[in-house]
Amino acid sequence: MPELPELNPVIHGKLRLALLSLLAGVEEAEFTWLRAKTGSTDGNLGAQLMKLEEAGYVAVEKKFVQRKPQTIYRMTETGRVALAEYVQALKLLLGGAM
Amino acid sequence: MENTEQAELRDRLKLIESMMAEGRRKTESWGWSFLLWGVAYYVATAWATLGHSNFAWPVTMVAAGVLTAVMAARTSSGHPETTLGRAIGAVWSAMGVSLFIVLVCLGASGRYDAHVFMAIIGAMLGTAHATSAIMLRWKMQFACAAVWLAASVAACFGSETVVTVAFLSATFFGQILFGIYAMILDVRRRQRGAANA
Repeated sequence: MPELPELNPVIHGKLRLALLSLLAGVEEAEFTWLRAKTGSTDGNLGAQLMKLEEAGYVAVEKKFVQRKPQTIYRMTETGRVALAEYVQALKLLLGGAM
Repeated sequence: MENTEQAELRDRLKLIESMMAEGRRKTESWGWSFLLWGVAYYVATAWATLGHSNFAWPVTMVAAGVLTAVMAARTSSGHPETTLGRAIGAVWSAMGVSLFIVLVCLGASGRYDAHVFMAIIGAMLGTAHATSAIMLRWKMQFACAAVWLAASVAACFGSETVVTVAFLSATFFGQILFGIYAMILDVRRRQRGAANA
């Protein structure tokens, strides 16, 4: 019997999974857009994005647009691979039940 | 595996799908621009016919272009860009600029011919609609492409009356009606999204 895969704990958190999925559908996104789409608080969102950044799944860029600070996030190649592997693992785990 | 765990894993899959769709939603909310340009064609046609003005088309088209740019900047503000969105935007922008330059040059050179004008407009709009339809796999937009190409063919063979009727019909079905349809779809999608949130 094949061994069941383990789910990546960094991605498995609901908010982190939502963030990675959002970033997978776009080229880059502002902090404010991610906050609006997830309905999360600034503090929680910042903390979860930092975890994703530490894991190398997202890259962050801070810049000023018309004198206003903007924090832009984009998914890295490592993040894309990790999300694809996570989805694959989910499908395998649900294989018998789907 | 227990049912609660399975349900939780299924929830995760649904979350991934819904969030990815959220990112792509922006590409589908351009119905207003089709409606705007459809109305602009009618305004330009009416002005040119009733007012006998050579400025009717260039002025109306520039005004519609400026209005589109302003509204697009307002609606896109803060929204992230997708590759698909940029590709479709590029098709329409390139088509608009090419069409404007060619038609202005034709008018300025004095080689104005209603048949040629309408054939070019129909072919260019048909091509842009068809390209978008293929990218989005959207049958309704493909129907718009067919309408514009049919109008273009009619402009090549028909009388001046046929050209006018074909152009006005294609504008109504391929721009105005399609724009309203796309806007209704977008509103419904937003309502569904709000209900699922």
